[in-house]
Amino acid sequence: MDLSEKDEFSAEKRNPDNYDSVNNPSGDWRVDSYPSENLISAGPASCSPSQMMDSFGQTLWYDPTSVQAMGYGGFNGGNASSSSFRGNIDRSLEMGWNLPNLLPPKGNGLFLPNASTFLPPSMAQFPADSGFIERAARFSLFSGGNFSDMVNQPLGNPESIGLFLQGGGTMQGQCQCDELNVGEPHNDVSTAVKDPTVRSCEQAKPNVPGSGNVSEDTQSSGGNGRKGRETSSNTKKRKRNGQVNSEAAQSHRSQQSEEEPDNNGDKKRNSEQSPNSPGNKTNSGKRQGKQSSDLPKDGYIHVRARRGQATNSHSLAERVRREKISERMKFLQDLVPGCNKVTGKAVMLDEIINYVQSLQRQVEFLSMKLATVNPQMDFNLEGLLAKDALQLRAGSSSTTTPFTPNMAMAYPPLPHGFMQQTLSSIGRTISSPLSSMNGGFKRQETNGWEGDLQNVIHINYGAGDVTPDPQAAATASLPAANMKVEP
Amino acid sequence: MASADKLINTDVPEKDVFALHFLRSLSNLRTQNPLNSPDKSIDRVRKIKKAAYVSMARAAGGNSRLWSRALLRRAAKDDNKSVRFSRRKRKVTWKISSKRRRSNQRAPVVEEAAERLRNLVPGGGGMETSKLMEETAHYIKCLSMQVKVMQCLVDGLSQK
Repeated sequence: MDLSEKDEFSAEKRNPDNYDSVNNPSGDWRVDSYPSENLISAGPASCSPSQMMDSFGQTLWYDPTSVQAMGYGGFNGGNASSSSFRGNIDRSLEMGWNLPNLLPPKGNGLFLPNASTFLPPSMAQFPADSGFIERAARFSLFSGGNFSDMVNQPLGNPESIGLFLQGGGTMQGQCQCDELNVGEPHNDVSTAVKDPTVRSCEQAKPNVPGSGNVSEDTQSSGGNGRKGRETSSNTKKRKRNGQVNSEAAQSHRSQQSEEEPDNNGDKKRNSEQSPNSPGNKTNSGKRQGKQSSDLPKDGYIHVRARRGQATNSHSLAERVRREKISERMKFLQDLVPGCNKVTGKAVMLDEIINYVQSLQRQVEFLSMKLATVNPQMDFNLEGLLAKDALQLRAGSSSTTTPFTPNMAMAYPPLPHGFMQQTLSSIGRTISSPLSSMNGGFKRQETNGWEGDLQNVIHINYGAGDVTPDPQAAATASLPAANMKVEP
Repeated sequence: MASADKLINTDVPEKDVFALHFLRSLSNLRTQNPLNSPDKSIDRVRKIKKAAYVSMARAAGGNSRLWSRALLRRAAKDDNKSVRFSRRKRKVTWKISSKRRRSNQRAPVVEEAAERLRNLVPGGGGMETSKLMEETAHYIKCLSMQVKVMQCLVDGLSQK
């Protein structure tokens, strides 16, 4: 049966007149050039589109599709390699959808009645298969603009048929238009984009009358396609929701204001997804794009209700808030040691609280120890810094440069006065351990500091690896600072 | 010990900053009581502890964090000093009542833990739970840094 249909189909396609500019990327397309083996070779390739809809029991529906795919594949095989055709099954599918449009101009009723007899019984039993839905959606995209017209008119109306065929027929005439529509099969969001192009394509060619059968099945498939489009768009909304939520999470950093009254309006606007008509679909698609661009402007969080979730604004806000909290808790989990094994918010929060308490207790304990270690409370900055410098240098893994020059460079935000003070104290500190080296240098000696300080700095340079350029600036500033600090 | 999280910024300065601030505050302590040293060790401990917290708050970026701001304000109030803060970009404190009223609807488990956290973290009373978590994270980082500094200091001093 397949082969016979193929032959019929191929017989119809022999006429090259109307197929000059059909979707043919290579441009070398010649109908009569394709040998029969291309059809046969394309046969197994075209079986895979049927495999895509494998859960669908009715094979009858597949046949015209496969025929069309093969038919096109035959065309394609004449120019490109058949492997490329096999590689682009999707493209061929879309091309295949073209074929009922191609048929009417021929006025050849051989194939059409066969297809039509297959289709109506099969159409009645369409399961909501995802693969079929996608294909139906794609098909609907092709002549999406027509469906609204078709729906309004009764089935079997020759005018509607003509409209459809016109829409279909025009598709072939504009290969660019088809390329546009076909080239983005995977994103239903672009329905808004496609519809105007489809409509523009329609008006290009005049009405071509044709048999009613093709339009009938396409109409019914169009009806199902619309439904399919709706359900698929629901799933797509989930993906979009994820994107919007991630954007929203990021943009929320920028604002801390009360979300709920702001979001009420937004969410109500977002959550009216259930009444889905094609007109609304394009609007929502466009609105989606606008919302994402509005995010940086308003700073509002645009949240979309997920599929199967309540669209109450309060629950949406709750969900956003809960997500934020869990995100922060994950962050905290990394901070607090030993929290990785713990699962569950309550236990983890208890751990966090315990950790904070332990840290605070540690601070208190250490301050007590400090008080006992240094009972006179004469914290000599110099001595402390010197010893601490040694400790920090030994203990820390982050600092590779000597302590004091690093300190001088590390605090650009500090006010200048403070910098001078610290530098003077650093100078005192540095000089004190080295005073023993210099021999009899008084601790509180301020005279002759500059030379000593410079010596000190140079010695410190020798002690560790410091980048010369920032340190040069430090040395340049140090003597000046000391000059100011000295009373 | 700086984290690079795009969404939540909990960058904490290096250890040296903390050390510097702490030592400076300690030396200020010394200059406060040059002659008469308070005999009671408790007072001393308290002073050191306060100096530790204040220096930690300053090192962590004085006004940019809610907890540090609250800490400094609290410390200044104890000393009867007036603290001057730069103007805040956003107001936080007025949201307490509106948030607390509706806290029943939020997850009660989380909320009671958040209450305990609020008692621990300075300035936690005026924050929403999500903001509280951010502040807690930063606070934990700064606290651990301060603990390290103090530990180094104690070790250095006790090594005499």
